[in-house]
Amino acid sequence: MGEWLLILLILVPVAFGLLAWAAPGDRSRSWAVTVGALATIALSLVFAVTAKTGESWISLKDLLGGGTEWLAFGLELLIAIVVAVIAVRIRSRLILALALVQIGLAVAEEWFSLRAAPALPGADFRIDSLAIVMVSIVSIIGSIIAIYALGYMKHHQAHAPATAQGSGRFFFVLVGFLGMMNGLVLADNLRWLIIFWEATTLCSFALIGHDGTLESRKNARLALLINSFGGAAMMLGSLLALSGAGVEHLSGITAANRALIPLAFLALAAFTKSAQLPFQSWLLGAMVAPTPVSALLHSATMVKAGVYLILRLAPGFTGSRVMFAIALAGAFSFAAAAALAVGQSNAKKVLAYSTISNLGLIIACAGINTPLAYATAMMLLLFHAIVKALLFLCVGTIEQKIGSRDIEDMGVVMFELPVTTLMALVGMASMLTPPFGMLVCKWMAIESAIASPLILLFLILGSALTLFFWAKWLGRIQTVSYHATLTREKLPLSILSAEYILGGGVVLTAIMGIPLFQILFAPLAVQTYQGIGIPAEQLSILDSVGGLDICLIMLFIALAAVANMLTGRYFKPERVRLPFLSGENVVTDARTFRFRGLKDEPDEAWTTALYLDTVFTEAKITQWTNWLAILVLLTMFALVVGV
Amino acid sequence: MWSDWETFSAFCSGICPALFPAIMVLAAPLVGALLMGIDRKITARIQGRIGPPILQPVYDVLKLFAKEPLFLNRLYIFYAWLYLAFMILVVVLLAMGQDILMVLFVHAFATIALILGAMSVRSPYSRIGASRKIMQMVAYEPILILFVVGIYLSTPHPHSFLASAVMKLNQPLLFTLPLLLPAYFAAVVIKMEKSPFDVSSGHHAHQELVRGVTIEYSGPFLALIEIAHFYEVFILFFIMAMFWSTNLWIGAGIALAGFFAQILVDNASPRLTTFWMIRFMWAGPMLLALCNIVWLYGMGRG
Amino acid sequence: MKVLAKSPWAVHFNCNSCNGCDIEFLACLTPLYDLERFGVLHIGNPKHADILVVTGSVNHRNARVLENVYIQVPDPKVVVAIGVCTSTGGIFADCYNILGGIDKVIPVDVFVPGCPPRPEAIIDGMVQSLAKLEAKRAGKKVEPARKPTFTFRPPAEAEAPVTPSPAGSAGRGGKE
Repeated sequence: MGEWLLILLILVPVAFGLLAWAAPGDRSRSWAVTVGALATIALSLVFAVTAKTGESWISLKDLLGGGTEWLAFGLELLIAIVVAVIAVRIRSRLILALALVQIGLAVAEEWFSLRAAPALPGADFRIDSLAIVMVSIVSIIGSIIAIYALGYMKHHQAHAPATAQGSGRFFFVLVGFLGMMNGLVLADNLRWLIIFWEATTLCSFALIGHDGTLESRKNARLALLINSFGGAAMMLGSLLALSGAGVEHLSGITAANRALIPLAFLALAAFTKSAQLPFQSWLLGAMVAPTPVSALLHSATMVKAGVYLILRLAPGFTGSRVMFAIALAGAFSFAAAAALAVGQSNAKKVLAYSTISNLGLIIACAGINTPLAYATAMMLLLFHAIVKALLFLCVGTIEQKIGSRDIEDMGVVMFELPVTTLMALVGMASMLTPPFGMLVCKWMAIESAIASPLILLFLILGSALTLFFWAKWLGRIQTVSYHATLTREKLPLSILSAEYILGGGVVLTAIMGIPLFQILFAPLAVQTYQGIGIPAEQLSILDSVGGLDICLIMLFIALAAVANMLTGRYFKPERVRLPFLSGENVVTDARTFRFRGLKDEPDEAWTTALYLDTVFTEAKITQWTNWLAILVLLTMFALVVGV
Repeated sequence: MWSDWETFSAFCSGICPALFPAIMVLAAPLVGALLMGIDRKITARIQGRIGPPILQPVYDVLKLFAKEPLFLNRLYIFYAWLYLAFMILVVVLLAMGQDILMVLFVHAFATIALILGAMSVRSPYSRIGASRKIMQMVAYEPILILFVVGIYLSTPHPHSFLASAVMKLNQPLLFTLPLLLPAYFAAVVIKMEKSPFDVSSGHHAHQELVRGVTIEYSGPFLALIEIAHFYEVFILFFIMAMFWSTNLWIGAGIALAGFFAQILVDNASPRLTTFWMIRFMWAGPMLLALCNIVWLYGMGRG
Repeated sequence: MKVLAKSPWAVHFNCNSCNGCDIEFLACLTPLYDLERFGVLHIGNPKHADILVVTGSVNHRNARVLENVYIQVPDPKVVVAIGVCTSTGGIFADCYNILGGIDKVIPVDVFVPGCPPRPEAIIDGMVQSLAKLEAKRAGKKVEPARKPTFTFRPPAEAEAPVTPSPAGSAGRGGKE
């Protein structure tokens, strides 16, 4: 049962993607995508419910008979060749070189594994709690984004440049992406892992280049280049694992012996995929794509692959100095990306940097490598996926409405898009305020980082800067005034339902955050670290999470809400006043921010938030942080060799 | 009488578990108001004036409650309530000896509530004030977190983040965190909105922002914010007293010394720009705090 | 308890005063007079204020602003008008744009005469306004203040054409 579900989880999205591509019209395409998305969600739920406790292993050999190694080798070569063909078509020598290196590495690996007769033990796929959690995140959130894309793309294609690809191909790649991602998180055989890894690279290349403009083609090429580099690093790592340690499975790398060198290369691959510094440029470029693509890349798929890989590897390397270097790299990305976000007023760019920052936090937690930190990382991963999906969808809707993605232009959204703005508010609030999960996660992250001062310092600085860029955006979009009337926007059903579901998900995880942690993540972490002693301090923190604090916070927020409702009794129209504009208000103005300026002409009272762009200049900071990040990565490799 | 907190809180809990937090919640605003009154009196005397009565802050709040409630919209009133609720919650959590890092986060959120309230209205003064308040948070928040880390490292093995663990220490925090005291003091000056850091909502008349973040709150809603500020003053100096937790009276002495020092600083310095504040805080007090933490790790407390 | 009288916060609005009265009002806050000992705070914001202190002769341009500031002061509130300009326009009364007293725009509770009034007079006016403030809070009807009669120009004289005297023209220096 489990094995067939697994195959279905990979193939069903691809199949429905093909249907969507082949569909003759918009209506039939919508049906194909909707049914495909719902089927994927249903499959992942069945998969999660029916999965056996503990780990189970699945080999394709048992299902399909012999020859699966050749299938894997063939697919691996095929993808590398496709990359090479693309490289020739877009005339990029670097990518071509990387593709050729990949082909060479694939052949070399095949040669090594043929020589290692009898065949190496191990299964192709592994199902355990981590994989199940990941599959649920990918399938459910990814599918919701696909449904949202139906409404979004109708508008987008109407205004898209002439060079844009058809929506058929777009939906094929978008939905098929989910299948590849499911395969990625389930694979245990490094070869299958590489296949899905590279497949997601290709998918993201196709999606980023969707509009076909000069800019989007340039950024798609950048994404392909950096991720092919990561792919090559991964293949090299797997080759080294095979030739050096004699293993070709992830479980082998973590369990059998301390294969540190492959670990370092796999971590490098993970950093490229998760867009950690200094590889962040591709993710920033990726925002030229239609918003559902950004939502997908940032929340459920792609960048989560790298984080997943680190989480998968971490428990096998407790106490190793390489893990410390990984944690340091993550913590550094957390702080540096937050600093970069401070100077940005482009909403999508802020979101992108915040993604990089949060992924850095997850990697830092995974690298700290204690049960508490591990559970925190898992919870962060879940929250971040939901919140980021929601925020991107909201920003996409806002952008289509107001025609700008500048944060300072979003002071009017509350009047024009009240529902979307409310959802965006919920999303942003969940990034920095109690009782939402992100804050609890940050709290636990700091508590678990206490043993390593350097990481702790980055976490502290990063938290302060995170607060800076979220607070000013949150403040901008929640601007309201009494006089202007709010009219509920008319949006396509697909967009509204996606926003409602994700918004509900954010609120639900806020309420359920602590139980979720206690029921799901804490046992998972303890189980993952079985056999490794857990310090008493950490156990006590694990226990204390969700004690009194969260209940009290909820209680006090409720009290404030009740008090506010009681205050509402005093609210009368004649008690409403205009804001203080030195007495020069234009009294009849419904939006209340105009004053009489020169020659008694109405003028707008306008202030922007602080961006400190003389200090937080993107180009300057990027340069510095990239060098530092490279230094950290070199340290990681030096530690490997030194050990 | 009770020279250490533990005996006192244990005595209260012996009567009723909620008694100690209840006493704290009721006493905190009174202590805060009294401190503010003393502050105004001393400032007046430094300036050669007679000054208002000590209870003037209380009169002010009572007066504000007698005023007509004016609104701009419904949302920003909610943030005023949240600000107050979270300040009370901080006192409750401290009294119950809960996790200090969580206390700090709740405290930070109280300030964020004020910022969001200021940003939810279309008022340029209030927005500039809010932006500057964010800058203030960026300036002092790292120091406060480092302070919490220092407290954690000062507790005996197994380390603990619980406030109750601080009360059980057998040597004062000041011995392990000597450099964090001045750093914390700098953070207090910002939190109290005192010169040279009173950039977001100065207490003195005719600041350039009129009144910054609180400009659009009037009457009873301003009273809520004033009360929350009383709580905050109490919290700040209560935490300062924790530097000598083994003896309440010495701790209170340190807090009072800090209190007088910030009045002096307020009266002796001009207001400086936001950038200067960040630069100063990250270069000076934060460096002190970091040195202290590194020293603790060096002593093998990590 | 008379809570309002114990902490009156004043906002000061200058509608084209010559700054003489403003400086005298500020003098009230200095150590010599120390208005703050009565709890008076000088607040820059009408929304926090109880007393609106007005100086200057209101004109057509800033009457609207004065009214707006008055509306933004929450009830109960009083208006203290300082200086002769606020009651008649003072030495500006003949200008083309002067309304002739702020009571044409907002109700005034206390007029403090003088050009400029001494700080003692201003403090006295503030104290008188506190009684009215408490009365307003208690819901009693409070009559607007009457203008100081001895600075009031008879209408006939005000309408009469102004003929420059030789001495006056010398004083205006360089006009001819």
